[in-house]
This record gives sequence, structure tokens and C-alpha cells, in this order.
Amino acid sequence: MSAVFDAFSMVASFEVLVAILISAVYGMVIGALPGLTATMAIALLVPVTFYLSPIAAVATIITSSAMAIFSGDIPGCLMRIPGTPASAAYTDESYALTRKGQAELALGASLWFSALGGIAGTVALMILAPALAEMALSFSTFEYFWLSFLGLMCATLVARSSPIKAIAAALLGLLVACVGIENPGGVPRFTFGLTDLLGGIEPLPALVGVFAVSEIMRAMINAPPPPIPERKLGSILGGQWALTRRYPKQMWRGNIIGVLIGALPGAGADMAAWVAYATSKRFSKEPEKFGTGHPEGLVESGAANNSALAGGWVPALLFGIPGDTITAIAIGVLYMKGLNPGPTLFTEKASSMYALYIVFLLANVLMIPLGILMIRVSKQVLRAPRSVAMPLILLLCAVGAFAIGNNPFAIVLVAVFGVIGFMMERNGYPVAALVLGIVMGTMVEQNFVTSLIKSDGDLLPFFERPVSSVLATMTIAALLWPAIVWLLRRLRPAEAAR
Amino acid sequence: MHLSDRVTGLFLVLLGALAFWGGSRLPAVPGQDIGPASFPMMIGAGLVLCGGLIALGIGRSFEVEDPPEATAVPGLAGRLGRMGWLAAFLPPALLIFYVVAAESLGFLLTAAVVLLVCARALGASWRLTIALTLIGPFGVHLAFSELLRVPLPDGLLAAPW
Amino acid sequence: MTKMTRRGALAAGALAGIVPLARPAIAQARYPTRPVQFLVPWGAGGGTDATARIVASLLEQELGQPFNVVNRTGGSGVVGHSAIASAAPDGYTIGIITVEICMMHWQGLTELTRSSFTPLALMNEDPPGVQVSSSSPHKDIKSLAEAIKASPPGKFKASGTGQGGIWHLGLAGWLGAMGLKADHVRWVPSNGAAPAMQDLAAGGIDMVTCSVPEARAIIEAGRAKSLAIMAPERNPQFPDVPTLKESIGVDYSVGAWRGIGGPLKMPQEIASTLTAALQKVWDSKEFKDFMNARGFGMVWADADGYAKHMEESDAKLGAAMKAAGLTKA
Repeated sequence: MSAVFDAFSMVASFEVLVAILISAVYGMVIGALPGLTATMAIALLVPVTFYLSPIAAVATIITSSAMAIFSGDIPGCLMRIPGTPASAAYTDESYALTRKGQAELALGASLWFSALGGIAGTVALMILAPALAEMALSFSTFEYFWLSFLGLMCATLVARSSPIKAIAAALLGLLVACVGIENPGGVPRFTFGLTDLLGGIEPLPALVGVFAVSEIMRAMINAPPPPIPERKLGSILGGQWALTRRYPKQMWRGNIIGVLIGALPGAGADMAAWVAYATSKRFSKEPEKFGTGHPEGLVESGAANNSALAGGWVPALLFGIPGDTITAIAIGVLYMKGLNPGPTLFTEKASSMYALYIVFLLANVLMIPLGILMIRVSKQVLRAPRSVAMPLILLLCAVGAFAIGNNPFAIVLVAVFGVIGFMMERNGYPVAALVLGIVMGTMVEQNFVTSLIKSDGDLLPFFERPVSSVLATMTIAALLWPAIVWLLRRLRPAEAAR
Repeated sequence: MHLSDRVTGLFLVLLGALAFWGGSRLPAVPGQDIGPASFPMMIGAGLVLCGGLIALGIGRSFEVEDPPEATAVPGLAGRLGRMGWLAAFLPPALLIFYVVAAESLGFLLTAAVVLLVCARALGASWRLTIALTLIGPFGVHLAFSELLRVPLPDGLLAAPW
Repeated sequence: MTKMTRRGALAAGALAGIVPLARPAIAQARYPTRPVQFLVPWGAGGGTDATARIVASLLEQELGQPFNVVNRTGGSGVVGHSAIASAAPDGYTIGIITVEICMMHWQGLTELTRSSFTPLALMNEDPPGVQVSSSSPHKDIKSLAEAIKASPPGKFKASGTGQGGIWHLGLAGWLGAMGLKADHVRWVPSNGAAPAMQDLAAGGIDMVTCSVPEARAIIEAGRAKSLAIMAPERNPQFPDVPTLKESIGVDYSVGAWRGIGGPLKMPQEIASTLTAALQKVWDSKEFKDFMNARGFGMVWADADGYAKHMEESDAKLGAAMKAAGLTKA
């Protein structure tokens, strides 16, 4: 118990509280700026953490990542330019709400359910960490293969228009993920002799290009959209209580999906948001409304991506295994500050552990007032003339892409993907599926190949292992479902004619 | 550029075939039965299949029609008339310009050019454009170079701080 | 200006001629006079990045000018190493050089080799360890080695990094030293040490040959144990882990090292200044504390020693890569 009191006093120090506040604003702002992403924000924090005390250092990372994952929804909703791959899952949906003049509903839902999701995730972290860790450790490459394949299938489940085009887009994404030397064989693929392509194509420049740059390209040839009806901004949270009462199952399902997927190393907020959105549509009573501006999907996926963040810290804190790039950076910082991940964190340094939990809770609570402020500011910024905002966004895309690895080649990638995204959108191919393919591609291939190596070429273990068999059934069902629906649709008119 | 499904479908078939062929030329790796060639080949085959289906118009029944766009377009596209769609390629062109010019011209000048060209092409008034071009580069430089310690090239015109 | 006599002008001109000649000597005596860029070919937050940051901050204390760490990622390390090698050799761009420089050219990925740099100092080396799951029937390295020798090729599975990565080569070299073929134990590539350790705990593979610091958290959680390290001596941070030599008599050692270097043709005075400063950094308490907290192996060599070390490393790794069939034929 004394450890808990120590933890409170550690967090209540001036340095830590100021660090939390500043990094909250920092994360909020960077996530909300189109062209800049949460991962970039965290990577740029590392030099700063050097000069901070251990708890303050980790607090900055926890706080800014939680804020950025939420605020990445803001440009996605208002401008159709998601700030993170996670937001890409439901950008179209929230943008549709904006076009209907209900932007505050969409953003409010994102904010409210993200904050709740983060808190739920933290509670799960505090209580269930050992159990979640057990689950995480029992996942071998066979299980990961099915999971990542399932994640990939979500692209088709979510497709608004032709599912075949969605599959084609996802396949394109997988092809892009093939580029480089980061394959199980260690053989350079499709690099055309370019050193910069050796490391493969990062999802972030592709995301920025495919959404932000293609949006700017569209702005060049389309007339400005009609101004969104200026409604008196009522309470942003006003409608949220009603939503919570209407969709409690979705919220809890989103939280659970988020924590489970987040706890699995290698699967993070990105996948959680996609899977949650897909399950939301799949199990909804009004699936045809999805994509036209319907908040149900936002409830579930908003909850999932923030609870996945908290879940991602389970393997990170317990075993030093990163759940995604952000936790990988965070683990580095933990080591640098002498808070080595592992059992010592729970025994000798228990008060530090509790301090981290408190920071988590604080960050998610702080999200609400800061989020409201950010949403109001963003709506004001939207009033700026498009001809001034778009050039700035273009510049931010260039600098943001460069800043990740200080490599100008990233900017070239952004430009190329801008063209690709533009062409795809014009012809009805969902770009979100492309991004999903790029994000999931390496995971699918890596796990497939390594599993085969371990089983000496035998395919049986893919279906024999208990968790694998469950995931396999789910995936195959998801795969066959659209085909079955299509068949039923074809058969029914024939029956009606009889 | 709105192309017909047949064109995009055939493009995918071509791309898939290329991927398949490119993948098949990759060397095998000792100790791995499914080598680096497998995935590109599988993806290529999938693309050929999807491209074929799309070109044949299957699955079109699910599609949602987008509303037609308005015709009055300010800025560059309006000026180009029938070739207006070329204006869409200005942003990526500006990005490539940035990559090529930033080291030699320096961030401030390159950013100013990018902002100026893009704003004018979007139809901004000269007043707005000048304001943006003067303030924008400094603002971004301040935020990234000073606050975030990202090394932006100095080139011909270094920032005063 | 009108008062200036011809003589004065001549004198001024002479002075103006001499001063630039004198300036290099003065400037070098005061090196560094402005911030130095410290390039890291790997991503933020990783082990190499962390090591680079602590070295850079200590160099700043030592030499009085900021040493700014800049991550230059891409191409599995090629981009960053190229950036270091192609920078202006004026001493204002240096970087951290990792063992991969001795591996990349063997694979045909780049023309860069260790000879493309001016070595300044070797700072650290971590040998691969042999880790098994805590539920493994093998309680020591002797039992494991014998089981490997008795098994058919390809039965045992190992992991730790990507195909052709340093830990893969470590395993290949160890097998070679035991008289076995390099692929007697099948390598399962992974995305780094952490996922491999997780797979080990999940029962998916038999052993992981990453470095012990990378496996530390899982070992401390009781899910794995380290049976040996492939080094000439035990690591004082992990005193219970024997070396291969002392336990099974196989005198094989290899390591993933990190050193500081700059582009070729750096002025000798600047290089010497840096090497001397780096030695002070290496001896400092802060550096020792940092390395011990992480469990990284502290190894020192000055510029010449580093060059020699890289030469040996290059040859050893080249042989291991040829044996494993990983070189570009």
C-alpha cells in the first residue's frame, strides 16, 4: 500500500505534472496537424526525455501518445486526412458526419469514447496485466498469422462499395509491403537498386501521401465545398451520454477488442481500430447506415484504439516486448531511465509502476478538457480559406515526412503515394484498404513463412493449435461471408420469381 | 481522371502479371521452403484475378455513385480549361521540387516557393499569398528546427535564430 | 582610409595573407568551434540510439560544444552509414558505426566497407548468448550442444534476428566451430530479439541466440534462461552465465559492436582530439552506469585498435556468411 502512496507523491511533483501538461498539449497539437503523425511526435520527444527524471520522461511518452492517437481523428473527421493509420479505419465515416453538419457529434464521440477506452484499458492493465501477459506469451507465429490475416480481411468487411476493389486495394498494399529487404528471406525485393528502398516502404509516408496529398490534389481541381452550416457549438459532450446509453455493447466490445489486440505484441491501435470498426458493422442492427455518417462505428473503434494503447503496455512493461513503434520507443526510454521492464518493475520499483498507472489515468482524464479545446480550435481553423490552409498542409507533409528519419526520400514517397491515392479514389478504390495492406503486409508474410519453417513445411499446425483453430475459423468465416451474401442475393430474386 | 473500370481492371492485371514475373525471378533462400518469391507471386496472381473481375464489371452492383462535381473552379485549374485536370499534379510536383531544391536553396526559400505556387494555384488573392509566403516558412521553421530540433537545411537563406 | 600609407596597406595585406594560414592551426587547437552532428543509422529509442545519445551528451560535456544526435534511418543501416561516410571530413559530422558495416558489403547491399570511415574509438561489444525456454529439458550448454550434435539437420530451430543478421551469424559460426554445418540448426528469422524471445516463451522455437541484455526482461521474468555466451570472458553484469570456452571447450566468440567513426580523410589532430575525448567518456561514471544498467558490454579500443578490430570482425563474419550461404556469389 505504501507503494501506492509513494506513487502519488511521485506523480504529484511539479516536474511530472508540468511534463504531463506540456506533452499533452504537444501530442494533441501534433496529432491534429494533418501531415504529422503520432509516431513522429513520439520519436521527436526522445531527445527531450534525456533531460527529464524517470517518471517525468515516461509520463511525456504516455501522455503525448494517448493524446495524439485521439487527436489524429480530428483532421480525419474535418478534412478527411487521418493523423494516424488507426484513424484511417473510420475517416470516411466521420467525414460523412461532418458533411451532414454533425462534426461535433463525430468528434465528441471520438473524444468521449477514446477517453473512456483509455481508462478501461488502464484498469485492465492494472488488474489483468499478468493474465494478459500469459495470453500474449502463448501466441506463436501460427496464431499471429491468422490474426493478421483476419485484420487484413477487415478491409473487405468495411468496404463501402465494390468489395472486389477493396480486395484489389488491399492486395496493392501487400505488394507495396513486399518492397525491401525486410522479408523473412533477407533478400532485397523490388528495390530497383535504390538504397532508400532497401528498408522497405514505411506506412507513414504512404498514409500521409494517400490521404493528405491526394486531398490537396483534389482541392486543385474541385470547387471549394459549400461551407458547413455554422451551428451554435453546443456542448461537444452533450450528445455523448445519449450515445453511451444507446450503444453500451459496442463500447464494451470496442474496449475488449482493443485491450486484447493491444496486448499482443506486434498488433496495436491500428489493427484494433480496424477490427473494431468491422465487428461493429458486422454485428450492427443497421449495417447499411455505415459509411453514410453513422456514429455507431465510431463508438466502437474510438474505444478500441485508445484501449489498445494501454493494452500495448502489458508486454512492454512485463517483458520489454514492444507492441508497436511507439511502445518500442517507450521501452528504450524506460531502459535509459533505469526502469528496466520486467519483474523488477513490479517488485523493487513497484511505486514507479503505480506512478505510471496514475499517469495513464491522468492522461485520459486530461484528454477530455484538452480535447474539447482542441476541437473548438480546429473548427475555427477550418474557417480559414482553403487556398491558404492547403499549401500549409502540403508543407507540413513535406517536413513531417522528412522529420521521421531525416531522410528526404520519404518526401518522394509521399508525392508518389499522393498520385496513387488520387488515382485510386477517382476510380472507386478505397485507399484505407491500401494503407491497411501496407501496415499488415509484413506481419502476414513474416508469420506465414516462419511458421512454415518451424513446422518443416507442414500446414497442419495452422489448424491444430487450439487458439489457431479458433482464429482460423473466424478468418475463413469472414472470408466466405461476402461470397455467401452475394450468393443469397442472387438466389433470392430467382425464388421471388417462382 | 475518371477512367473506366475496364481500364483500371486491365491495369491491375498488368501490374499483377509484372509482380508475378518479378517475384518469380527472386532467388530462393537456403532453409526456407516458402522463399521471398512466393508472396509477390501470390499477390500478383490475386491482382490478376481481381483486375480481371473488375474489367469484366463484376461487383459493380455494390458501388455507390458519387455526386457530380460543380464546374466553377478557381485558380490554376480554371485557367487551364480543358486540361484543368493537370493542375491536380501540382502538389506532388511541388514536393519533388522541395526534395531537389531544399539542400541548395535552403528551407526558407524552398518553403516560400512551395507555399506561393500552391496558394496561387488554389486561387488565393495576392494579399493572402504574400502574407502566407512571408509568415509560413518562418513559422514552420521555428516549430520544427527550434522546438523539435529537426535539422532543416540552411542553404542560401538561414533563419535568424 | 585616406590616412593609410602604402606601407600600412602592404603590412595589412601581409597580415591578411598570414592570418588565414595561421587560422587552421588556431581553429584546430580549439576544435570544436561549433556544434557537431552525430549521426545514428538506426531508429530512435533503440539500443544503438540510446548508446549514441549518452556518448553525445558526455562528449558535449568534455569538449564544450553541442553534439546533436540525428537519426538517419533507412536501408537497414545503409542510409545512415552512407551519410557518415559521405559527409565533409572536417570533423563536424561523425557518427556511431555498428557491426552491420562488416556484413552489408558481403551481401552485396552496398559498396561501403569498414575502410570507408576514419575509425575513432570502439565503445561497446555484446556477444550473442544462447537462451532457452525455462521449460527446456536442457539445463546447461553441454546438454544442449550434445543434443544438437545428435539431432538430424534442421530439427532444432533457433531465432533472434532477421535472416543473415548478426545473431544468425553467431549461431552459424558456433555450429561451424563445433564441426557442424552452418544450417544444422534451422534459422527462423524474426523482427528483432524481442519477438524471438516471445516465441521462445510460447514454445515455438528451441533457442534464441540474441545478446543477453536483449533477453534480460524475459529471463528475469523466469520464462527463459541463458546457458552461455560466445565471448572470451564472462560479462560482469551477468556473472552466472558461462562462456562457450569454459563450459564446452569451444573457443568461439563474436560480437555485435558499436564504435564511433567519421568520414575518411579527417584531419589527424581532430581525430586524435575526438579519440582522447571518447576515452574520457568511456572511463566516466555516467557511461559506466548507463551501460551497466542496460547490461551492455563495455569494450574499449582506440582508433588503431578499432581499425584492427573491424578487420578481424569483417573476416570472421565474412567466413560465417559464406558458410551459411548468405554472401552474394
